Amino acid sequence: MNRLDNLPSKKILSLFMTCGFPNLTHSKKIFQEILSHQPNIIEFGLPFSDPMADGPIIQESSKIALKSKITTKQSLNLIKQLRKDSNQTSFVIMCYLNTVQKYGIKKFISDIKGIVDGIILVDLPFEEEAETKKLLDKSNVHLIKLISPMTDKIRSKRLLKEAKGFIYYISATGITGSNKLDYSEISKNVSSLKKLTKTPVLVGFGIKSKKDALAISKKTNADGIIIGSALIQKYFDAKMNFNKYIISLRKFINEVKI
Amino acid sequence: MNKYNEPNTLGRFGEYGGMYVSETLMPLLLDLDTSYQKIQKDKKFQKELSDLFKNYVGRPSSLHHAKNLSSYINGPKVYFKRDELNHTGAHKINNCLGQILLAKKMGKTRIIAETGAGQHGVATATVCALFGLPCNIYMGSKDIERQKPNVFRMKLLGANIIPVESGSKSLKDAMNEALRDWIKNVRDTFYIIGSTAGPHPYPKMVRDFQSVIGKEAREQILKVEKKLPDYLIACVGGGSNAMGLFYPFLNDKNVKIIGVEAAGKGPKTNQTAATMTSGTPGILHGSYSYVLQDNDGQIKEAHSISAGLDYPGVGPEHSYLKDIKRAQYFGVTDKEALSAFQLCSKLEGIIPALEPSHALAYLIKAFKNKHKGKTVILNLCGRGDKDLFTAAKAIGFDADE
Repeated sequence: MNRLDNLPSKKILSLFMTCGFPNLTHSKKIFQEILSHQPNIIEFGLPFSDPMADGPIIQESSKIALKSKITTKQSLNLIKQLRKDSNQTSFVIMCYLNTVQKYGIKKFISDIKGIVDGIILVDLPFEEEAETKKLLDKSNVHLIKLISPMTDKIRSKRLLKEAKGFIYYISATGITGSNKLDYSEISKNVSSLKKLTKTPVLVGFGIKSKKDALAISKKTNADGIIIGSALIQKYFDAKMNFNKYIISLRKFINEVKI
Repeated sequence: MNKYNEPNTLGRFGEYGGMYVSETLMPLLLDLDTSYQKIQKDKKFQKELSDLFKNYVGRPSSLHHAKNLSSYINGPKVYFKRDELNHTGAHKINNCLGQILLAKKMGKTRIIAETGAGQHGVATATVCALFGLPCNIYMGSKDIERQKPNVFRMKLLGANIIPVESGSKSLKDAMNEALRDWIKNVRDTFYIIGSTAGPHPYPKMVRDFQSVIGKEAREQILKVEKKLPDYLIACVGGGSNAMGLFYPFLNDKNVKIIGVEAAGKGPKTNQTAATMTSGTPGILHGSYSYVLQDNDGQIKEAHSISAGLDYPGVGPEHSYLKDIKRAQYFGVTDKEALSAFQLCSKLEGIIPALEPSHALAYLIKAFKNKHKGKTVILNLCGRGDKDLFTAAKAIGFDADE
């Protein structure tokens, strides 16, 4: 069984958070708060020293997490512990390939098997994925496909042939958490993706408010949304006061659950 | 035995290289690869490039017999491939001209680049001025501080310099920011990478554009010595000047090849940039190669007195050449490079950049009283003007106005 195979057909909510941010103890509390809202998916970001596809907010969260000396092993243990609190929410790891390679790809997969349902390897494109995908398939962990506005139809078709879990549609040609959203472009691209696959299409990158979430739901054909940077931004808005942060995080998640 | 013709179509040199980038960049890199393959066969393109090499850069650069240094070493006959005589003072211009012509062909209207020592930044700003394209240079704030003359040069040439405050505030972080810029502005922007690093096709493309160095050197040495050299020596940061010299000699089995990395305060300290002597294979900036990293795969900060070698990664082709033992790599400390910098200035009347001073230091150290009757070509890939303040400070000379 893979929890991602039972996602609802509409209004899927996926929430991203960096593991170990701002430190291991608080990170666990943050994830418990997120989990208590029962989102469909939680994305666990593993901090990396050189997150080249991330914007300043996620970069900063990685840096803070690494400063608190978080290790991959600790992140995976944290995810394991959280799994005990919920068997419903799909767990997805989002990270850079070097983290997995250094840990040992086989060991990594065997450590997350049964606990984690999917993985987004930001810097592992289709051309390079064959070996990794084989190992993931064997352990029933879905390799989540990213599609960008630069991916043309022929390429999308190839990428989506064996897509499982969900499709991560990058809504702006940009790094995470940046740029304004162009709904008509998103709508057009999501619709053409949906003609190619039955796997749910989720829109991510740049969703900052309830207004954005509603607009994606009303103006596009997307099956759900992914929110990351905006969740982390609240921490800095709360001037790094942890209790205040948890309150504003709670309020924000309630708002975007539409 | 097969002739050396790496990489394969996916940009693999053995197991190294590849394209480890996000999906936003992937279509663009594939497009770049196709366009690059086309211009390789395009006679008009190649003619335009060689005209620019000749009339704008001043190629071929000379092959100078460094007699005084040779007798000081009391070993082999040393030749300098003098790419420091190029317009802009280093080998970087070779690659920038090639890439900007390609950018033009591809209809790109905005140029970005990263720079460490500022040589690649200056070369990029130069070709942007020549071709009238807007130029944005990412540079670590630490490097801006230690390479002030080059910062001013870039500004004069009309470039916009974007200081990078993240991480170690040097070359690695400048490259992260440039890649982020590219992801954001993927449609109109061309990223001129300055080294044989990064995702495919960059390592191959940069090597090819730089291989003019080795092609010339091969012809020149055959003319004066009537035989191939016994050794090639070049410094290696990302590795573009070295690949440029090495590549045309890779099939000449009797030519021994030596790359010299910056070992900072020592290869066993934490303050080194000697990726291949102190690092392990990993993924950085889109390719699989040796990197300086910790047990968790976090990339370490590099250290070198030379901003151009201060990089925790290395081009994938070098990793491959190391593993198949076609080339050997050694580390040289800041201190050793500084003395070679001074020695070369005094003996040959050539003030070298701190980068090739590392290659010089290795030559002086390892060839002293040895290898008599042999010939060496050392790539003098940059001149030392940009390093005067750094060197003065390190030597203890007050160079302030």
